[in-house]
Amino acid sequence: MAQVARQLQQDSNTLQDKEGKYLTFTLAAEDYGLEILKVREIIGMMDITAVPQTPEYVKGVINLRGRVIPVIDLRLKFGLEAAEYGERTCIIVVEVQGAAGAVQMGVVVDSVSEVLNISGDDIEPPPSFGSRLKTQYILGIAKAKGTIKILLDIDKVLTGEEMAGLESLGS
Amino acid sequence: MTDQAPDSQKLIEGLEGLALKVVMLEEGDLPGLGSFLNHLETLKELLAPECAPEVTLLFQQLEEVGNKLILQEITAAAQGQELLGQGVSLLLIWAREHKFPKDGEAWKTYCRLSQELGLGGTGERPPQSEAEPAPAPAADLEGFIWEDQELTASFITEAREHLEGIESGLVHLEQAPTDLAAINAVFRPFHTIKGVAGFLNLPQIQELSHEVESLLDEARAGRIEINAAIIDLTLTGVDRLKEMLEDLQEALSEKRPLRTFDLEDIKSQVKELQEQGPSGEVPKRQLGEILVSQGEISSSDLNQALEKQKTEAGAPPLGEILVKEGKITPKKVARALVDQLTEEKAIGEAAVSPAGTEGKAPADAQMAPTIKIDLAKVDNLVNLMGELVIAQSQVRQNPNLLGVSDQKLERDLAQMSRITTELQMISMSMRMIPIGQTLRKMVRLVRDLARKSKKQVELHIEGEETEIDRNMVEAIYDPLVHMVRNAVDHGLETPKEREVQGKPPEGHLWLRAYHKGGNVVIDIEEDGRGLDRDRILAKAQERGLLQPGDQLTPAQIDNLIFEPGFSTAEKITDISGRGVGMDVVRQTIERLQGKVEIHSRPKEGSRFSIRMPLTLAIIDGLVVKVGKERYILPAVAVRETLRPAAEDYFTVQGQGEIIKVRSQLIPLLRLHRLFRTENGETHPTKGLVMVVEYDGKAQGLLVDDILGKQEVVIKSLGETLQNIKGLAGGTILGDGRVGLILDLAGLFALGQT
Repeated sequence: MAQVARQLQQDSNTLQDKEGKYLTFTLAAEDYGLEILKVREIIGMMDITAVPQTPEYVKGVINLRGRVIPVIDLRLKFGLEAAEYGERTCIIVVEVQGAAGAVQMGVVVDSVSEVLNISGDDIEPPPSFGSRLKTQYILGIAKAKGTIKILLDIDKVLTGEEMAGLESLGS
Repeated sequence: MTDQAPDSQKLIEGLEGLALKVVMLEEGDLPGLGSFLNHLETLKELLAPECAPEVTLLFQQLEEVGNKLILQEITAAAQGQELLGQGVSLLLIWAREHKFPKDGEAWKTYCRLSQELGLGGTGERPPQSEAEPAPAPAADLEGFIWEDQELTASFITEAREHLEGIESGLVHLEQAPTDLAAINAVFRPFHTIKGVAGFLNLPQIQELSHEVESLLDEARAGRIEINAAIIDLTLTGVDRLKEMLEDLQEALSEKRPLRTFDLEDIKSQVKELQEQGPSGEVPKRQLGEILVSQGEISSSDLNQALEKQKTEAGAPPLGEILVKEGKITPKKVARALVDQLTEEKAIGEAAVSPAGTEGKAPADAQMAPTIKIDLAKVDNLVNLMGELVIAQSQVRQNPNLLGVSDQKLERDLAQMSRITTELQMISMSMRMIPIGQTLRKMVRLVRDLARKSKKQVELHIEGEETEIDRNMVEAIYDPLVHMVRNAVDHGLETPKEREVQGKPPEGHLWLRAYHKGGNVVIDIEEDGRGLDRDRILAKAQERGLLQPGDQLTPAQIDNLIFEPGFSTAEKITDISGRGVGMDVVRQTIERLQGKVEIHSRPKEGSRFSIRMPLTLAIIDGLVVKVGKERYILPAVAVRETLRPAAEDYFTVQGQGEIIKVRSQLIPLLRLHRLFRTENGETHPTKGLVMVVEYDGKAQGLLVDDILGKQEVVIKSLGETLQNIKGLAGGTILGDGRVGLILDLAGLFALGQT
C-alpha cells in the first residue's frame, strides 16, 4: 500500500516537472504541444530538398539562414495521412539533444495555434492503448480550454531509436 | 509586514533574475522568451493575494507581450523586449518600495511603449512613490566559476602550444648544447606554465614544471651541462605534463576531480642531475663544427677529414688536413680559429650574464599581433559570408532589377559585389593557419624514431608559413605521421649501410610545404635506399595482386604499395610495418580531395608528395541534373564526360550495366535509380555518363545533364543525416535551395551491392 502511494507520489512529481509553457499546434484534427524551451523559431513552408535513401517522413533538408537542417513531416512520422501543404502549414524549428550535442531540426505541422501555460495538475500520464499504439513519444496529456493537448517528448520523436536506425541505415 | 519578509525577499531576487533574462534576450530567441515566461509564472504565485490590482494586471500584460513575441504577432520585437524590461523594473520598484512610482520615468516609458504596440495601458495611474528606477541586478556569483573554467580551458591550449615549442627547442638544444638562447627558449615556457598553473591552483602541474624549470635554470646559469640525460628527463617531464593536461581537460568537461600523478621518479632524477655539480669548463665548439655551420665545408667533408686525422701518423690539426685536401683556403681556417676564440670568450661571459648572448634560437618566427577567437565564431562568419554572397546574387538576378537601366544602380551593385567578394576571401583566410605547427610536431617523432632504429637523421623543415585550412591540418596529421615513420624506418638506412654505399652516415629527411596551383603540396623526401621495386613485385605476386605476365612501368610498381594489405618491411617493427600502411594513407588523403604521388630512385631516396586543396570547406563542384533534383560532384574526381553510343553499352545478366570507353570497360550506375528520383533520363545513350575515379577504380554515373561548374561551400547535413551513404554533405546553391554533394566512396560501395 505504502509502495503504491509512493509510486503515485512519484508519478505526480514527474508530472509536476512537466508544467510550463507549451507551443501548441494541430496535426490532422488533433492538438499537440511542444515545450517552448525547445522551440527555436517558426517559419513558413519553404523549398525542401529531398534526401535519397531516407524514410518517407524525412522530407529532406532546408537552408535555414545558411545552415542546412533536416525536416521531418510529423504527420508521416506518426502514421497519419499525408496532407497537401497549404498556407497555414508551418515548419517549427526545434533544438533537440542528439548524441553529439544540440542539433536543430524542422518539423512540419498543419498549423501553429498558441502558447499555453499548462499547470502540472492538468497533465495526466499517457494512457495505455496496448499494442495498437506506442506512446513513447508522449510526455502526457493536458486538459486545457475544454480540449486535450497531446504533449510531445520531441527529443524522443527526433532522436529516438528510429532516427538512430536512420543513421545506421547510412553507414 | 515582517512575516511577509521572506516571501518578498524571494520576489525581489526572482525579479532581479527576470530583469537579467530580459537584458540577455535576443531577437527571435524563443527559448529565452519561454524561460522568461516560466519564470514570470513562478513569481506570480509568490504574490500576496492582497497586493495591488495593478500589479497583477502588469503581470498579465507582461505575459501577454511575451506570448505575442513568441507567436510573432508583435513585429517590432525590439520594442516588445524593451516593454518587458520596463515592466520588470516597475515590478522591482514595487517589490522594494511596496508602492508604484508615480509618474516615474519608467512608468511613462512603459505606457508609451505599450500604446505604440497597440496594447492599451493599465488605465489608472498607480499610487505615488519617489523611487528611482531599479539598479542593475547584482552580478551572478556563479559567473566567477565559469570564468575560471574558461581560463583553465585557454590555459590547456596555451600550455600545449608551449610544450610543442619546448619539444622542438629541445631537439635543437641536443645538437647545440651550449646555445644559451636555445636553453632560454626551453626554460621560459616552463616558467610560464608554472606561473599560470599556480594562479589557477593546479599544484601538481606547478610542481612538475617547477622541477624541470629549476633543472634548466642550473644549466642556464652554467652550473651544469646540457647532456642527453637532461634532455631525456626534460622530455619525460613534457610527456608527463601532456598527460596532466589531458586529465585536466577531461576533468573539466566531466566535472570530476583531478587525478594524482606520481612525480617522485622525475623529482629524484632532477636531484641526481643537479648534484652532478658544476661542470669544470664550458665546452668550446670544435673547429670543424664552426666551419660546417658557416657553410665552408660539408659535414661529409668534415667526417672524412676527422677519419683521416685518426689514421694519419702524428695526427695533424684538422685545419691542415682540410687545406691539404683542397676543401678550404687557409685564410678561412684562420678566420674560423679566431671565431672559435671569441666564441669561447662569449660563452664565458654568457655564463655570468645569460641575457646578453645572441644565439641561434629555434625559428622564433616574427609574428604580427594576433588575437584568439573562438573557432565557432569564425565558422559562423564564414557561413554568413557564404549566405551574403548568395543573397547578393539573388538581388542581382531579381527580374524587377534587371529591367532597370540606371547607371548609378549598376555602379553601386558592382561596388557591393566587389566588397562581398573581398569579405568572403578575408573570412575564408581567417580559417587558414600556418602548417608549421604540424610539421614541427614531427621533430620529436623523428628524433625518437631515429634513436629507436639507431639511425642518424637530420630533419629539414621548409615552408612552415604555408597556410592551410584549420580542419585540414588536423586531418592531415595522421597520414603525415605514418609517412614520416615509413621514411625513417624503411626509407633511410643505418649509418653502416650508408657508409657501405659511400653516403654520409647521417640521413636527411625533408618536410616541405608549399602552394602550387591553388593546392597545398607537402613533400616528404629522404635520401635513403629508395623503393625496392623487385621486392615490391615479388610481394605483389605473392599477395595475388599481380599476374606473372603483367608488365608494369616503374611508377606503376611504386604505386603498388598503396594496395590494401601491402607492407614490404621484412620484419614488423613496433614503429611501422603492421600492414595497415599506405592504403590507409591514400584513402585518408583522397577523402580530403587530395592525391599522393611517389618519386623514387633506387639508392638515392624517395619523395612522397601529398597534394591537397587549400580548404575542405569549399570544393570545385560540377552541378548535375538528375530528374528534378540537382547534385554536386567533386570536379577533381571526374575524369571525363561522354554520351556512349548504343554499341558501347552492354548489360550483364540483364542487370549489371557496362559501358566501353575506348578499350576500358566501366561499370555504370544510374543515379536516378539509386536515389529513386522521378523523371530521370532512362537510357545511357540519351543522358550523360560522368566517368569518376576513386581509390584507383573507375565508375560511370548516369545523369541527365551538367548544369554548370562552381565552387560550393560544403555544409554538414546534421547529425541524423550525416551518414547517408553516397552523400558527403549539402551546399546552398545560387537560388537559395540546398543541393546535395555526392560522396564517391559511398557511391562506389553502393554500386557494388
